Amino acid sequence: MVARILGCHKRTFPPPPVGYDPRMSDGAFVALALSARVALCATLAILPPGVALGWLLARRDVPGKALLETLTALPLVLPPTAVGYLLLRLLARDGPAGERALGFDLDLLFTWKGAVLASAVMALPLVVRAARLAFEAVDPRLEAMARTLGYSPLRAFAAVTLPLAGRGLVAAAVLGFTRALGEFGATVIVAGNIPGRTRTLALAIWSDLQAGRDDEAMTLVGITVVLAFAALWTVEILQRQGRRAGRPR
Amino acid sequence: MSPMAATLSIDLEIACGSFDAAIAWESSETALGLFGPSGSGKSSVLEALAGLRRGVRGRIEVGGRTWLDSARGIELAPEARGVGYVPQELALFPHRDVMAHLHFGARRARHARPAEPGLAPERVLELLELGPLVHRPVTELSGGERQRVALGRALCSGPGLLLLDEPLASLDLALRRRILPYLLRVREEFGIPTVHVSHEPSEVTLLCSEVCVLAHGRVVACGPPATVFGAHPLAAGEGGAGLVNVVSGTVESVAESLATIEIEPGLRIAVADEGSFAPGQQVACELRASDILLARGPVSGLSAQNVLPATVRAVHPPQAGDRHAAAVVSATLGQGERAIAVVVSQRACRELALVPGAAVHLIFKAQACRLLATYPAAAIRRRDP
Repeated sequence: MVARILGCHKRTFPPPPVGYDPRMSDGAFVALALSARVALCATLAILPPGVALGWLLARRDVPGKALLETLTALPLVLPPTAVGYLLLRLLARDGPAGERALGFDLDLLFTWKGAVLASAVMALPLVVRAARLAFEAVDPRLEAMARTLGYSPLRAFAAVTLPLAGRGLVAAAVLGFTRALGEFGATVIVAGNIPGRTRTLALAIWSDLQAGRDDEAMTLVGITVVLAFAALWTVEILQRQGRRAGRPR
Repeated sequence: MSPMAATLSIDLEIACGSFDAAIAWESSETALGLFGPSGSGKSSVLEALAGLRRGVRGRIEVGGRTWLDSARGIELAPEARGVGYVPQELALFPHRDVMAHLHFGARRARHARPAEPGLAPERVLELLELGPLVHRPVTELSGGERQRVALGRALCSGPGLLLLDEPLASLDLALRRRILPYLLRVREEFGIPTVHVSHEPSEVTLLCSEVCVLAHGRVVACGPPATVFGAHPLAAGEGGAGLVNVVSGTVESVAESLATIEIEPGLRIAVADEGSFAPGQQVACELRASDILLARGPVSGLSAQNVLPATVRAVHPPQAGDRHAAAVVSATLGQGERAIAVVVSQRACRELALVPGAAVHLIFKAQACRLLATYPAAAIRRRDP
């Protein structure tokens, strides 16, 4: 059974990217540390724009809102490899954000920063969605009430909307973190699969399977299951409390 | 700001969904009522005053300050108007307890008007009897308690204009009797200019010195509540059915389930008591205009406990479009100026030859008179100099 799945995987996976060497394997700890660093950096990078976009979509009627909504949701439905390929073309030497166009090298391709970029792009739609839901759950009349009591728009937002949406926003961050943690398709194309440098947990599992190291693969799978379970459990609890506290009566 | 400036002067055009409201109103009274059936645009006017409504055109002046003048491109932000707004849904903050609500409001009073007396959260806490609830989350409060918290938060902010949207509408009769005294107390203690939205004639009559009646986004009538409701029976509901007299006085004695209330020196009425009255209290009772009989001749052998001599002051024939075709007679009680509105059929009006100056008797059962509110002790002190 496992052999059949493995065989099937061998046939359908994309060709090995640059830097791929099936004979080498990281220790589980190296892959975990790299994954945590990549996912954390990606989450921190997308949180400000993700929360801002979520707020914009929840609270403002901007022209082209439908287009903006569709664009932010796009990475959610595209195959991750397609997104990775687009990023690769964008950052390539003669791409729109390449060395030739910018005059300097961003040095993202095949580095851990590239993995951050790939997983950030893939996780952004989830963060925007969750942030939007968090803001929509807060009655806008509460902020309006704060305005009538002399609070400026920014103060009213900070004193009323932000604390009431807070739990939902934490949930958004955790969701983004888990998505970044599991990112494979775009990462393998933008950052490659370099042991010790860009081989994250997801890539290491795949590499171990390719090399027939079933035990190592199982260990890594165990780690990811625990991480993902803990993160989703946190989100579930936060959203439960948020629903209870955020409901205006 | 000149001392003669009107409390409120508005000339507004508001898009209210199915219709466009056009409302012009100016008043120098401080206790203002905005009355009308639901959907007449009352709440929209209040939102426009608070600065929370978009697409409002026209002019708003409050106490001589211009808040809105779309012709001159002036529109003050909600935070620059200094209102204390209590919307119908209250808009309490679910993440804060009662005390935090008062402090939330008090922030403006602390920053903008440090010398403003009597608006400290501790004072408001005492006034609205919120003390025992201080650290309770607002999500655990009852309807009447939530109402008081919203009112308290508005009072703590040191508002220049208080906007109350149907503060009693969502409460049952027993709770109304509990909240009304607080509203009276606020009016007596602070004298903050207030716009009070309501569809209850008795509430407006009790709390306001001037009322503006709206119907379908138009001003139908303006003036003192007793006059307006007497002259425009339609304003108070079809056929004057909703027309209510508010009679206030001091409880003299309670005996045999009847309270005797002196409403003017030498003029007493009997009111059925369900245990709410105590001698010495100052109370307000409501008496529906359709619950009163008129008699021209001598009266005897009636079970009705109230037979009061009165003089017809005016007779208002039914207005066009009134299916019930009843006339409203306003009669002056005893020697005083107090006018009582009575709804009678047109035939009765003709048969009794009711014309201004005619001597009549007003007859009503003790049960027809219902307790509306008990005045708080503080209000009594102010009312008896």
